[in-house]
Amino acid sequence: MNTFRARAARHVGFQIGAVLLLLFVGTALVSVLWTPHPIDTLNMRAKLMPSSTAYPLGTDHLGRDVLSRIMVGAQTSITVGLIAVAIGLTIGVALGAWAAARGGWVDEALSRTSDLIFAFPAVLIAILITSVLGASAQNAILAIAIFNIPVFARVTRGAALSMWSRDFIRAATAMGQGPVGITLRHVLPNIASVLIVQATIQFAVAILAEAGLSYLGLGAQPPVPSWGRMLRDAQTYIFQAPELAIWPGLAIALAVLGLNMLGDGLRDLLDPRLRLLRVG
Amino acid sequence: MLEFLSRRLAATLVTLALATVVVFAVVEVLPGDPALVMLGTDARPDTLAALRAKYGFDQPLITRYLQWIGGLLTFNLGNSHAYGTSVAKLIGDRLVVTLPLGAMALSWATLVAIPLGVFAAWKHRRPGDWGVMGFTQIGISMPNFWFGIVLVLAFAVTWQWFPAGGFPGWQEPLKSVHALILPALSLSLGEIAILARVTRSAMLDTLREDYVRTARAKGAPERVVLFRHALRNALIPVTTVAGLIAGFLVAGAVIIESVFRLPGVGQLVYDSINNRDLVVIKNVVILFTILVLTVNLLVDLAYALLDPRPRVRA
Repeated sequence: MNTFRARAARHVGFQIGAVLLLLFVGTALVSVLWTPHPIDTLNMRAKLMPSSTAYPLGTDHLGRDVLSRIMVGAQTSITVGLIAVAIGLTIGVALGAWAAARGGWVDEALSRTSDLIFAFPAVLIAILITSVLGASAQNAILAIAIFNIPVFARVTRGAALSMWSRDFIRAATAMGQGPVGITLRHVLPNIASVLIVQATIQFAVAILAEAGLSYLGLGAQPPVPSWGRMLRDAQTYIFQAPELAIWPGLAIALAVLGLNMLGDGLRDLLDPRLRLLRVG
Repeated sequence: MLEFLSRRLAATLVTLALATVVVFAVVEVLPGDPALVMLGTDARPDTLAALRAKYGFDQPLITRYLQWIGGLLTFNLGNSHAYGTSVAKLIGDRLVVTLPLGAMALSWATLVAIPLGVFAAWKHRRPGDWGVMGFTQIGISMPNFWFGIVLVLAFAVTWQWFPAGGFPGWQEPLKSVHALILPALSLSLGEIAILARVTRSAMLDTLREDYVRTARAKGAPERVVLFRHALRNALIPVTTVAGLIAGFLVAGAVIIESVFRLPGVGQLVYDSINNRDLVVIKNVVILFTILVLTVNLLVDLAYALLDPRPRVRA
């Protein structure tokens, strides 16, 4: 762990990523307790105001404080991203580990199914799901989670398969340990770093996907603030208040950039030989 | 070669068949009653019954599925609920916007990304390389629809060089191309980033090969080494990724067309969601899927022709 710390101290990308992530999570946490202004108090007399001391990032078309809404928007992004990745991780890792341990038809069926899911353009299926089930944050989570399952299943299967051919696992098998025990005790702990790195990248992908869906009106519904939705509203007033279209986009880009840099950094630090899937 | 070809074709057809089952299940089985989705829960029972009869929602699932597949094979996709016109014609009319948009974005992405990747590999572990890698990191992290909005802010609101949105129609070719420039730029951002990274790493691999060292030892100029010797072989993985990206470009068009209010297939999907026009949504999704699968198949074939190695594995 000491060498990890020493190498992290020299890895600039990892540090920038970590700072951006701290800023992102910190903003969300602070906004739970405090925002400069209430996020849903309408004030039509103060609509579309430029930035000022009272409203550092100005106000939107309903006179609401943009900074406060961006702060609470971080909560929405994190909630949707975290739950979507957690669902994808749990189911994907279980399926991938099963396929690696069992082989044969289980492995074949899993590979074919994930090929099938990868054949669909992800945005379209997310749109399809949310349009049939209705536009809401929950359905956006579901749509994003579905695409995370095969990603984690593939990564887990690949990493776990290489573990199963190692001597210490062969030894465990020879000592009579079952596949479930070996997977839990030996395989998963040894591939954890691969999964952590992939989860970081997937978190970034999920935040981008949530922003896209809510830009199309298929994510979190008003009055819940979401960055994508704020951009959609800002675009309507792009001639009156151009800077409104800057802040939410910058928030998305910085959050995603932070996670991507952290993910790449973690990959370098934990295992330079790792190869990752990147599915948009 | 023939065996590889037929195997890949069979696998694609199986995937496509499964994809139709999935799309059908999501659109017509998952919501319970599709008529209720299309008309809303406050619809009168007789209107619901009329709609069910019109689209055959009252028939058994297997009949409905087979009718849909039959329609897909004969390009008879039925009528749109919201527009009242034939879905095939509706999609055809919109493709004349989406296909040129995708083609412009892909050509732009290739033109920018490959030189960037070559440059980064040439300047490996030096400031030029870091600059390109930093740019690609931003390109991957920036939502393409926000990039589109920023382009509108700069080139339509501030400088007024380009329209902020809309499409004049191909009877005015110059204006139409002009209207597609900003959308194509925003659509290509992420693809430039990914392609530049792939080009860079493919170039780094080929630059280590013996024949490149031989070329250098023979005193070949650096430009010839980079472009004639290294890039030619590096292009094999780059082509594969460019092909894969083509599929994603079409899907990304949904959001970009919405940003620039372009009347393409993406905008059709968006409108159909708001109109709850399941007939259109179902067919557009499967057509996009066919497109992606076809591109993937063509890429695999091109790959097999360029590089004999994967044939053995497949």
